[in-house]
Amino acid sequence: MIVFASSITDADAYSRFAEPGIRRAAEPDSEVLANAAAGSIFRSYNLIMDSVAERDDLEALVLLHQDAELASPDFCSTVRAALRDPEVGVVGCVGAVGVRSIAWWEGSVTWASFTHRYTELGGGELPALSWKTDELPAFAHTGEVDAVDGFVLALSPWTVRNVRFDESLGQLHGYDFDFCLQVRAAGRKVVTADFRVVHHHSLELVSNPETWIAAHMRVADKWDGRMPGVNAAGGEWRQRARRAEAEAALARTQAVAAMLQADARTVQLERQLAEVTGSTSWRATAPLRKIGALRKARRAR
Amino acid sequence: MIAFGSPITAPEVYERFAQPGIEAVAEPGSAVFAYRATSSIFRSYNLILDRAASCDDLEALALVHQDTEIVDPDFCAKVRRVLRDPDVGVIGCIGAIGVRSIAWWEGSVTWASFIHRYGELGGGDLPGFAWKRDEAPPFARTGEVDVVDGFLLVLSPWVVRNLRFDESLGRLHGYDVDFCLQVRAAGRKVVTADLRAIHNHSLELVGDPEGWTEAHIRLARKWDGRMPRVGVAGGDWEERARRAEAEAEAARAAAVSKQLQYDAREREFRRILDETTGSVGWRITEPLRRANHWRRRARAALRRRG
Repeated sequence: MIVFASSITDADAYSRFAEPGIRRAAEPDSEVLANAAAGSIFRSYNLIMDSVAERDDLEALVLLHQDAELASPDFCSTVRAALRDPEVGVVGCVGAVGVRSIAWWEGSVTWASFTHRYTELGGGELPALSWKTDELPAFAHTGEVDAVDGFVLALSPWTVRNVRFDESLGQLHGYDFDFCLQVRAAGRKVVTADFRVVHHHSLELVSNPETWIAAHMRVADKWDGRMPGVNAAGGEWRQRARRAEAEAALARTQAVAAMLQADARTVQLERQLAEVTGSTSWRATAPLRKIGALRKARRAR
Repeated sequence: MIAFGSPITAPEVYERFAQPGIEAVAEPGSAVFAYRATSSIFRSYNLILDRAASCDDLEALALVHQDTEIVDPDFCAKVRRVLRDPDVGVIGCIGAIGVRSIAWWEGSVTWASFIHRYGELGGGDLPGFAWKRDEAPPFARTGEVDVVDGFLLVLSPWVVRNLRFDESLGRLHGYDVDFCLQVRAAGRKVVTADLRAIHNHSLELVGDPEGWTEAHIRLARKWDGRMPRVGVAGGDWEERARRAEAEAEAARAAAVSKQLQYDAREREFRRILDETTGSVGWRITEPLRRANHWRRRARAALRRRG
């Protein structure tokens, strides 16, 4: 039996996104655990794992964010296929190799069969690299990775019974990366599989940089020297510090440059729009648009 | 005599911006050292300094980027007034305190009486916070700073005769920060003044990220322990490395996030624009706009013919 579980901080988001996705993917005998969040995501997920660990019929536990909508009707068979290899401990739909920190996306992403759907600024969608199966880049392939993103994690029964999220690390950031490292340190595999997910998420990727940075440092400290590749960088500490301080200042400066360019682009588009809406012909046809709008409103009624 | 100097990599840029600015503010006896740029800005500026140093009547040397236009009729009078303090070595129109690296803008900027004028995307102006005098924020003040931006540097005769740009540091980045540090290390002051300039510059702030990073590291190494605050951060090297690596990754993620937001904003604007120009009203009035366009062209042609 495959169990689906979410830790909920926003019931509305769960009802709109995770719940319909679970309904789409679940099998008749699947169990669904919808728990209110219990403190941190680490603790909430551990609570879920504790509650299903003893079940003899457990085939997989799927932990999904309340804003993650499973879009594959054959989700369960895809997960079962991936877990047929007894060494697989975690399955995700987006993952990377060469990961050195909680910023797993700075590694080389090998698979990402999800789409990022946002509602800001009129809404839109950002399909990830393997969302469109007919447009796969040459480097796209499922299989073993260093880490997967935590918005959907399918765990093997062994993992559910033997590994726990490390509650000492904080509230939210890095829980997925640390968990993948634990699974790998225990000799199991972390893999990606071709199941599809819509991630309903704001365009803000790191909403609280200071806690993200603190988590980054804690996870780096924890895994220092314990896992090949993690925290690796050239040079001794002094050289690393100098280079990283330069790179941090550069990244901040480039972010400002991007902001200036975006603002300039907006000014240009506003100018174009003002030229259109300020033109004589636009003003002359205003009554026409008013009639059109009224007609549309009446039709909608 | 107040002299002006500019190393030129693109003559047309110099002719459009720096030259008219210099001509507008130069006095009858002013010398102008406009040379073709050499291998680095450090070396090019040193060439100009060498030439200016030999002028016995030198009162100040203004080093102007080719894309910088001085737009201050009182420029020379202001420079003389500031240099009345014999301790002043460098004057700029934008500067900051608490500067720790070549990213001087990460310090606390105290004055910025310039406009950043860009040509991309239809062009536009980004005025520095002290450009509009009646709208200057409470923290705006001229006076002593750690560092000034190099697009306009006014040097005292003492500085011209005693200091040089450090050519070992690279080709471009950090020349201004290092020079200001040298001036301060020599016991002179770096100050801002209400000099007004337009910096005609692309919106790209760091065109060569790897070169910039290298310069950042070289400068931090050079000044390590030699100037208070420069290259300083909390913790030992390991802690600093850990924190900075995290900050760099967070900053890159934030930059990606912002980029996504900007792209979304642009898509939204495009959608509105397409909806507007795709409307029936807009399409049926197309002949009207075309007629207007030709009428305007004909009127302009008639005006040209006199």
